[in-house]
Amino acid sequence: MNARIALCFTALLLAAPAFAEQPRGLLRLPEFPALAEKASESVVVTLDSNLLGIASRFLDASDPEQASAKKLVSSLTGIYVRSYTFDTDFAYPKADVESVRRQLSAPGWSRMVEAHSKKENTDVDVFMLVDNGKAMGLAIIASEPREFTIVNIVGSIDLEQLHEIEGKFGVPELEIESAPKKEEKKSVKKN
Amino acid sequence: MNDLEERLRRAPRPEDAEERLRRALRPVDAPEGFTERLMSALQAREPRAVVAVVPTAARPTPRRFWMPAAMAASLLAAVLLGQYNAQLRDEARVARENAAGLAASRELMQALRVTSQKLDIAYQAVTKPPVTGAEENRS
Amino acid sequence: MSLNPAQPMPDALLLRARAGDRDAFAALVRQHQASVFSIGLRMLNRRDAAEDLAQDVFLQLYRKLDSIETLEHLGFWLRRVAANLAIDWLRRAPHTATQPLDDSVEAAALERDTDPLMTRELARLLGELPPAPRAVMLLRYQEDCDVAEVAAALDMPVNTVKSHIKRSLTALRGRMIGAKLVDCEELP
Repeated sequence: MNARIALCFTALLLAAPAFAEQPRGLLRLPEFPALAEKASESVVVTLDSNLLGIASRFLDASDPEQASAKKLVSSLTGIYVRSYTFDTDFAYPKADVESVRRQLSAPGWSRMVEAHSKKENTDVDVFMLVDNGKAMGLAIIASEPREFTIVNIVGSIDLEQLHEIEGKFGVPELEIESAPKKEEKKSVKKN
Repeated sequence: MNDLEERLRRAPRPEDAEERLRRALRPVDAPEGFTERLMSALQAREPRAVVAVVPTAARPTPRRFWMPAAMAASLLAAVLLGQYNAQLRDEARVARENAAGLAASRELMQALRVTSQKLDIAYQAVTKPPVTGAEENRS
Repeated sequence: MSLNPAQPMPDALLLRARAGDRDAFAALVRQHQASVFSIGLRMLNRRDAAEDLAQDVFLQLYRKLDSIETLEHLGFWLRRVAANLAIDWLRRAPHTATQPLDDSVEAAALERDTDPLMTRELARLLGELPPAPRAVMLLRYQEDCDVAEVAAALDMPVNTVKSHIKRSLTALRGRMIGAKLVDCEELP
């Protein structure tokens, strides 16, 4: 009997890492090595809380873009990106995208935005993990014919700061007021 | 017909934005006299050569003092060299850490740019009114 | 091969400058002043600041001449230092980052331009980009560097450079349409 108890205890100890709690909001993102080889361009970023802290220290607070980034990441514990661009349409297997989507049906995750463009054959889904009324995780899955991107942000997310990053980090927000008129004119011409 | 419309009417066949940019960004000469001012600034910064006459010793230093002096100099050189090497190693380590930190910060900015770009697409899709027959949005 | 001692071979000029020949150094400055000054001008949006920056760059070059191996290396070095110095200056004085371009600034460029309105407007729009993408666009379209050269000069990943170019062109196209400079059908 004692031997059995000892054996169970040992088994539990050995299994402890498996039971160790994965931070809430963290998805299991594969490295997709096969895709990386096929892709013409890839962006793979894996920054856990340790690396985020180091990266944040090297951001220049006098640069407005980097100052915004510093503020945003101060309460985060991880940022993970897998983005692949290909030379041909749909060169990536949908099963890879689906394996990540399945994790987003776990309790706590809810889909905030489901955007689909038939014309451009683009899907963008934005998911949020809400815990006790606070946003603790963000996931974006974007698939276009020649690009697919998965973003996972973990930690306490300030939704207002998140909204602020739209249109930042590179260029001013696009002015599209006059564009739709031209598009309508185009579609009329095509018809 | 206003100036803009006249210009568009007379415009040659459409060029792409990149070619327009190249034309708009042709290098511009620095103001006249730039090189001369630069060379003057250079001249002003060069340290003047100082020629000092060092009187030679009236009597040569006795030989018996040379050996201890040489040993002391060697010891000092060894200590300084050791310190210098340690400093170089520290500097190399700091440089490596800085490089790693900078690389991480660049990756962070890249990740935020990708996130921003995708959120932008989602945001545009939910705020732009649907265009009939062209695309549908649901959220 | 030039037999005229008044017009030495390009590499010979560099060798003479490295050996301390001031006239040779001045000739190198004259060859590259437009490029360096223009980077400063379009990054800082001010003529006086651009001249200060250009002077700093060439003074640094004078000190570092020994490390310059070829004329190609010289060009790369000048672009790299000018662009990074401008970004540094803008970071230290962020309120000047998007100041409107001084009207007198582009006067010389506009003199021989077939479309001065377009030129002025594009330069103005470029001046509104943040420092890093602005530097990317200048190295790409003013200096005609390829993506790898831009990445090396600005110490940026190639993908970041491509992303900056793509987003900046999209924004510029959008602004050009918005400013009614072109019909959007003209642009791919």
